[in-house]
Amino acid sequence: MFNYVIKRLLAMIPTLIVISLLVFIIIQLPPGDYLESHIAELESQGESVDPAQIEFLREEYGLDKTIWEQYFVWVTGFMQGDLGYSFEYNLPVSEVIGDKMWLTIIVSFFTIIITWIIAFPIGMYSATHPYSWGDYGLTFLGFLGLATPNFLLALVMLYLANQYFGTSIGGLMDEQFIDQPWSWDKLVSVCEHLWIPVLVIGTSGTAGMIRRLRANLLDELRKPYVVTARAKGMGELKLLTKYPLRLSLNFFIADIGSLLPSVISGAEVVAVVLSLPTTGPILLAALQSQDMYLAGSFLMFLAILTVVGVLVSDILLAMLDPRIRLQGGMKK
Amino acid sequence: MMKYILTACLSLLLAHQAIAIPEVPALQEQVDKGLLPPVVERLPESPKIQSFDGREVGQYGGQIKMLMGKSKDIRMMVVYGYSRLVGYDDKLKLQADILEKIDVEEGRKFTLHIRPGHRWSDGTEFTAEDFRFFWQDKANHPVLSPYGPPPAMMRSSEIPRFKVIDKYTVSYTWKVPNPYFLPALAAPRPLYIYMPAHYMKQFHADYLSDEELAEKVATAKKRNWRGLFVSKGRQYKLTNPALPTLQPWMNTTKPPSERFVFKRNPYFHRVDPQGKQLPYVDDVIINIASGGLIPAKTGSGESDLQARHLRLDNYTFLKEGESNNDFKVNIWGTGRGAHIALYPNLTAKEPKWRKLMQNSDFRRALSLAVNRDEINQVVYFGLAKPNADTVLPDSPLYKEKYAKAYAQYNPAHASLLLDSIGLVHKDSRGIRLFEDGTPVEILVQTAGESTEETDVLALVKDSWRKVGVQMYIKPLQREVLRNRVFSGDAVMTTWFGLPNGLPTAQMNPQQLAPTRQDQYQWSQWGRYYETQEGEEPSLPEVQRLVELSNAWASAASAAEQTKIWHEMLNIRAEQVYSIGLISDILQPVVVHKRLKNVPEKAFYNWDPGAFFGIYDMSSFWYEKEAQ
Repeated sequence: MFNYVIKRLLAMIPTLIVISLLVFIIIQLPPGDYLESHIAELESQGESVDPAQIEFLREEYGLDKTIWEQYFVWVTGFMQGDLGYSFEYNLPVSEVIGDKMWLTIIVSFFTIIITWIIAFPIGMYSATHPYSWGDYGLTFLGFLGLATPNFLLALVMLYLANQYFGTSIGGLMDEQFIDQPWSWDKLVSVCEHLWIPVLVIGTSGTAGMIRRLRANLLDELRKPYVVTARAKGMGELKLLTKYPLRLSLNFFIADIGSLLPSVISGAEVVAVVLSLPTTGPILLAALQSQDMYLAGSFLMFLAILTVVGVLVSDILLAMLDPRIRLQGGMKK
Repeated sequence: MMKYILTACLSLLLAHQAIAIPEVPALQEQVDKGLLPPVVERLPESPKIQSFDGREVGQYGGQIKMLMGKSKDIRMMVVYGYSRLVGYDDKLKLQADILEKIDVEEGRKFTLHIRPGHRWSDGTEFTAEDFRFFWQDKANHPVLSPYGPPPAMMRSSEIPRFKVIDKYTVSYTWKVPNPYFLPALAAPRPLYIYMPAHYMKQFHADYLSDEELAEKVATAKKRNWRGLFVSKGRQYKLTNPALPTLQPWMNTTKPPSERFVFKRNPYFHRVDPQGKQLPYVDDVIINIASGGLIPAKTGSGESDLQARHLRLDNYTFLKEGESNNDFKVNIWGTGRGAHIALYPNLTAKEPKWRKLMQNSDFRRALSLAVNRDEINQVVYFGLAKPNADTVLPDSPLYKEKYAKAYAQYNPAHASLLLDSIGLVHKDSRGIRLFEDGTPVEILVQTAGESTEETDVLALVKDSWRKVGVQMYIKPLQREVLRNRVFSGDAVMTTWFGLPNGLPTAQMNPQQLAPTRQDQYQWSQWGRYYETQEGEEPSLPEVQRLVELSNAWASAASAAEQTKIWHEMLNIRAEQVYSIGLISDILQPVVVHKRLKNVPEKAFYNWDPGAFFGIYDMSSFWYEKEAQ
């Protein structure tokens, strides 16, 4: 086990190097650089910038260097914990992202909980009552959530919440609470706003989870040990939860790998539509304006979380299910 | 008799008020505690008395909430606040604002008189030292400005002679007249020629020991002291709440944030006719929301003063919100020559296109083949004007013949013109052919952020098809579009029309001649003017425009300037260098019902105008709610 973890950790290094290269190249692929998109934006508002100023900024930001020099500066800084400098905000990247991180985690946390609360009972019900009206009906609901575009649902909910509950449009709290210390009123305001993104993002995830849980459970429920236990007169609930449910949870653990990064990034498009103060819109804006260190460092951060998440879920799986071998194919 | 006594009493009362200037209620507590000096000492010896022509004297209090799309948009508070050394008033007349007065001799010697006792927002006096510091320690410092002073202060590589005359007087002298200097000071993004010296010296290498400086650079996590100095001293971007300012409101929130609180500047230099210190409104709150949501948020009453990110097609929605909320929707004019214009690229790379685009009859034909009335009715509810790209009717330089030149839909005339320039043969689809047999298919590239441009272009496409010209539409990102124009790859593009549609003869006519690279019909020629790189204009009419623009700068009288403007406008109208598709579009402006002194009819424009700037936002005030 120990050797396995060491090996996996070592394998991460080349993976991350390749990812960092890819990230950097893809951010640089669109024509122009940050300054050009910045000038274009100013011009569309009627403002203008003088050419000498631009030369000065290009030098200041190091954009006059070759792409490989820029890459090298970024990567060496990143390894020392310096995430670089955001041109758009005129601030170090860590300060830009830092503030938004905890709100993002709150939204993601509640979203995941909601997804589980909806998906688990439905999945279990569908598996124990397969091909019934209830199974079809609930699965249909789940698919509806998956098939409706999130941004559309978000807009509809915004409108309804504003019309019937008087909730202010977008954001995570009423404006007077922003940057204020926590209070009961602030908490209430956050709760008033939080349910929309949580529900919208949550519904899209439920369908997948329902179907996977149902399929895994169905496999288990037909196995002889279940039949035997039932023949011996075991209660239905205990019969379901004692072994089959636990065995069908493997997919759930395997999901952690992708869960970790999504907790940090939040759902980008929904966050933009709802104007949430989370990291998603920042990432999107950074990519649009070619604010390369902000975008690059953030994507790298997500990549590291993915790689670590996959490792964690692999180790957890091995610990939870003794049938899983660490060295694939050895004992066949 | 009774009436006379009453009037006498009233005037006595008013006179008395004028002597004892009332304290600003929101600052009373701080004054009582001794944290702030009383209002008389906070104001300059001779404050700027705003002329309240057509406006009411107001009451203190309240806050204005506004929405912006990005946190860097807080720079708009410098635009809206519009506190300038010299600035335009709402009649577009230049007048001293921060300065007590400015003397101009021969158009080349400018003597600036500072108001004695005028203070920065932190209470330090604003003096000639602030100008000297900027000029010597910033604009001409080898590390901070390796490229020299800002271009608006240069007259063909000549640097002005700067002189401190006394504590409250400085002067700038050029050898030749500099007509660009005052407009640059009054611009929405002003030319800053001063800096809070007492504050900025903390970050300047010449005023610090090496150790102190190194420590400050390290704590601010900057690469060098230049980065530190620049980041601390952004007077336009307002990212440093500690930087003293002369604007009516000062930022108190450090970015990044979703909500910026601007508090009143206790040392602001303007007063109302009764002598009460402005601004009336205590705070301005700027909330950041994604641009697409701003119309919806505004419509549910979350903004007290909003025009940014609102468009004409939000009008009906906003009107609907009026009944449930405390706002009203005003409709302002806009100040651009045309809302959307087609720019034939006269410096296109491909020779055959360049030749065609430089042919004035071709441009005229394309303009005649646009059905502007249809565009107006279909896309703009008939509320815009189907005019060419020229100055607007509210400008003193407007003539109907400029607006109507080649702007009437006349496909027969257009076809005739096209025939006359040799595009006679057509292919089986009815598209005209070049001499080499290739069809005249124009790819119009547009910044495709909204569907508005593409909607308009689709209509133009149909009407051009009738005269045998095929159009293809390609939406691009703005920066890509820009670079394609500069390189000459784009044959035709869309952009706004003339930036200033409301000029007076005293304003610089540069926008009419190739003087900037970002003029999309002749970017190479504009680049030549800016940097001496690129190409020289090859058409005689265009050369004449450059000549006239230069002649304006040395014109002696207003009459001569007016004559130059008209000759230039006439050339532009005759030659159709940009094909205006629609003009005089309207801008919805949402205003809180109780917010007073916001004009009902006005212009929403960048330069001149500074959006709300020339209407003096510091004089806006809230009427008390009726009990």
